[in-house]
Amino acid sequence: MEYTKEKKVGEGTYAVVYLGTKQSTSRRIAIKEIKTSEFKDGLDMSAIREVKYLQEMQHQNVIELVDIFMASENLNLVLEFLPSDLEMVIKDKSILFTPADIKSWMLMTLRGVHHCHRNFILHRDLKPNNLLIAPDGQIKVADFGLARTMPLAHELLTSNVVTRWYRAPELLFGAKHYTSAIDVWSVGVIFAELMLRIPYLPGANDVDQMEVTFRALGTPTDKEWPEVSTFPSYNKLQIYPPPSREELRRRFIAASENALSLMRGMLTMNPQKRWDAVQCLESAYFKEAPAPTEPSAIKM
Amino acid sequence: MSTTAQPKDEVPVKPANYRRLTDDDLFRHSSQYRFWSFIPDQLKQKRIELNAQAVASTEENLRKFMIENKDYLGDEELKTLEEKAVPVNMDEEVKLVNFYAKKVQAIAQRLNLPTEIIATAITFFRRFFLENSVLEIEPKAVVFTTIFLACKSENYFIGIDSFAAKTKGSKTEILKYEFKLLESLKFCLMNHHPYKALHGFFLDIQVVLHGKVDLKYMGQIYDRCKRRITNALLTDVVYFYAPPQITLAVLMLEDEALTTRYLELKFHGNTESENPSTGVSINFDKLISMINSCKDMIENASSVPVEEAKEIMAKVLYSRNPQVLLNKLKRKNSSENPEDSPDKRLKT
Repeated sequence: MEYTKEKKVGEGTYAVVYLGTKQSTSRRIAIKEIKTSEFKDGLDMSAIREVKYLQEMQHQNVIELVDIFMASENLNLVLEFLPSDLEMVIKDKSILFTPADIKSWMLMTLRGVHHCHRNFILHRDLKPNNLLIAPDGQIKVADFGLARTMPLAHELLTSNVVTRWYRAPELLFGAKHYTSAIDVWSVGVIFAELMLRIPYLPGANDVDQMEVTFRALGTPTDKEWPEVSTFPSYNKLQIYPPPSREELRRRFIAASENALSLMRGMLTMNPQKRWDAVQCLESAYFKEAPAPTEPSAIKM
Repeated sequence: MSTTAQPKDEVPVKPANYRRLTDDDLFRHSSQYRFWSFIPDQLKQKRIELNAQAVASTEENLRKFMIENKDYLGDEELKTLEEKAVPVNMDEEVKLVNFYAKKVQAIAQRLNLPTEIIATAITFFRRFFLENSVLEIEPKAVVFTTIFLACKSENYFIGIDSFAAKTKGSKTEILKYEFKLLESLKFCLMNHHPYKALHGFFLDIQVVLHGKVDLKYMGQIYDRCKRRITNALLTDVVYFYAPPQITLAVLMLEDEALTTRYLELKFHGNTESENPSTGVSINFDKLISMINSCKDMIENASSVPVEEAKEIMAKVLYSRNPQVLLNKLKRKNSSENPEDSPDKRLKT
């Protein structure tokens, strides 16, 4: 057996994750064992998506799919070993991180997301928990179990994607068509969370998520987002004004103006006006001081 | 630290050496290019080797069979075995696979699947038999499996119960080779089909030839090109050309004058000069000759007649199961009515 499973480190609805070793190279790896036996429909959809999209991408900021094998009726995905994730770092109050560290994480995350988008792949579940951290400090976009190819203009999609707190307004409205802009929104929320060190838009349920989102960022109107009021759930909404720059400055005390502009660009209500990954990467925030910390130098 | 806010719509100034990856660069990173694109000699070599291996093991099994049964084999039996239990050669394999690839297409169409999924099923099926010989796995055995996996891979989930009911297939049989299929595909499920490129060219032709093309006519050729693309996916052009190249060849087949005029206006002006926004330079004459060779390959692809497919299938069957052939001979000798003919098997 080329791979050993040494320690169970996690269990989800469709997979169990083990830490292990690749025998021939002694490389540390993670094995995601898909519980095929519980799915009578053959190879599981989430596993198929994960294989399909990871196979297309070789990028420093996207998790590497090392190998795939079948053992005792179960499909096993061999992934690179990533000991930490951004959620763990945010929650661990003993870790102090600097604005330069945040900039480094944002840069790596956006590079990974941009690589997905230029390969016509939507991730659809970006959250701190899915941004894994390699031993050398590199961020790796992971968990492509919900990913899909960018839809054609006429394709209908499910809006029931992305973990609630990171869900873009068009998804909250139940849009049947959306774009890679939903991923950018999630990164914007993650950016805010890194600066605040608490979740930025923690809705208690789907209805509350709209309330929390629009209270913080303003309820979108037809003026900035034509026909937004035609979404069925729109007329029940409380109309909040968008926050002034001053209010944002007070909320994000340590953020530079360029940092706020980037966040505002990512958290633009109208998905067509929202910044895309390229705009984000070219933002002045990444060019101004402080320079992003070398990933391996981030203290954790 | 700068305090000037960047207005939302401002385009950042780009450095002088600014260059983005082109679509060509990205395509070269795709699994379709890395694992499933070949130069013609490579593909031929791959097929020759695959067939040679399968033939060797089939012949080995035949020899064993003859040795084990030498006491029961008379002259007539030996002669029949020699004549009919012959492993198929490479050309016959390709023909049989192409014949069944059309069946995949027909069945997927009968299931009313979207065009892209039909294309993926055809692609999966043909790739499977670049890795497995028909002498090892009967094409028939993976027809439903490829359609089933293509649906899942294209995010068009049909449960196995419902799929089996619709195809009147057996669940166990459908799932039996699913992992083997995934493995043979080298775990590459992403397909870039030429339909997206068709949509792009369709829009671009209308821009470039604005006022010179009839929109209704464009709509007609769009639909016809879509069908032509599906047929092109049944040929080897998919291994030699990138999807947009296939699309251009198909457009050329559909309306040579229109396509040539479009390409002249689009590319002739900047022969050998680099397009500054993409960094790509396209040589017009090279482009035309490439499209024409792709077009010729699509045009010259011949379909395999049912009779020929049946003959090939019979060879596959008899060389893998010589006993079947002997049983048939026995029955033929004792009655005039052979039951286990390959004809009957093919129909199921």
